Amino acid sequence: MAADWADKQDDQLLALIQDGDGQAFAVLVERHTERFYRLAFRYLQNKEAAEDVVQDAFVKLWESPALWQPERNSQFTTWFYRIVVNLCLDALKKKKPVPLDDDSLVADDSKPVDEMMMREQQQKMIEKEIAALPMRQRTALNLCFDQGLTNQEAAEVMGINLKALQSLIMRAKTTLKERMRAYL
Amino acid sequence: MNDNRDEKLDNLLRSRHIEPAGADLPQRIMLKARGVPQNTPVPLWQSIRDLFGEFHLPKPEYVLAGVLLLGIGLGFSVAPDTNLPRDDGSAYVQSFLSADEALL
Repeated sequence: MAADWADKQDDQLLALIQDGDGQAFAVLVERHTERFYRLAFRYLQNKEAAEDVVQDAFVKLWESPALWQPERNSQFTTWFYRIVVNLCLDALKKKKPVPLDDDSLVADDSKPVDEMMMREQQQKMIEKEIAALPMRQRTALNLCFDQGLTNQEAAEVMGINLKALQSLIMRAKTTLKERMRAYL
Repeated sequence: MNDNRDEKLDNLLRSRHIEPAGADLPQRIMLKARGVPQNTPVPLWQSIRDLFGEFHLPKPEYVLAGVLLLGIGLGFSVAPDTNLPRDDGSAYVQSFLSADEALL
């Protein structure tokens, strides 16, 4: 029985959810929570806030399952990425920006820094620089590098064409390479 | 050199730190959803029946209301006669004035 549910495609589960099937909803949530949480965390940089966004997105889907229209959307994940991104942007608007501690981010070439420290600094620095990118560049990076979407899929999520997406990624990487010079 | 930096940046972007979600997140989502009723779209015919059901009117009143609505609908659908010449009013006033002058 459990195997039957696992075999079902997302759109089959969604059709069942539209008929009020709670088990189909549970299978969909189990299947996709992790990936959408990862995306939300990239924007919000906070576990609780990211969990709240994913929870809100799924509860919205349960509440209004007719929002999913298979004839208008190619894939559930593509459509749901859009919902999660929009909720993250709303959450960011409400949230006051918390500045990262800049003292810990200064690269000091004169001192020998052990590898762990260097890596930690790199991580902090890249998060800071990504957070400073324009939102569309940030979204493109998150979708392509973190979610492992193809450029075509990421373009579809963002509602832009492939060339525009490639341009966003190229600009983002150019900026990051410049600002992360000390670490690359 | 540039390729090397590209590669390093790509690696860095792929290995960003992430704090894992709580293991019970899916369960929490399901629990929250369980308390939320589903909004299922109501078919048009059903919503009309519900609307009429709200009023509890006897049949003759339905007929009366129907005729009234039909009349209003027809009234709006018949285009008003807009072919009257625009200057009719002014011509009438003109002739009235000249008649008045003649009296004087």
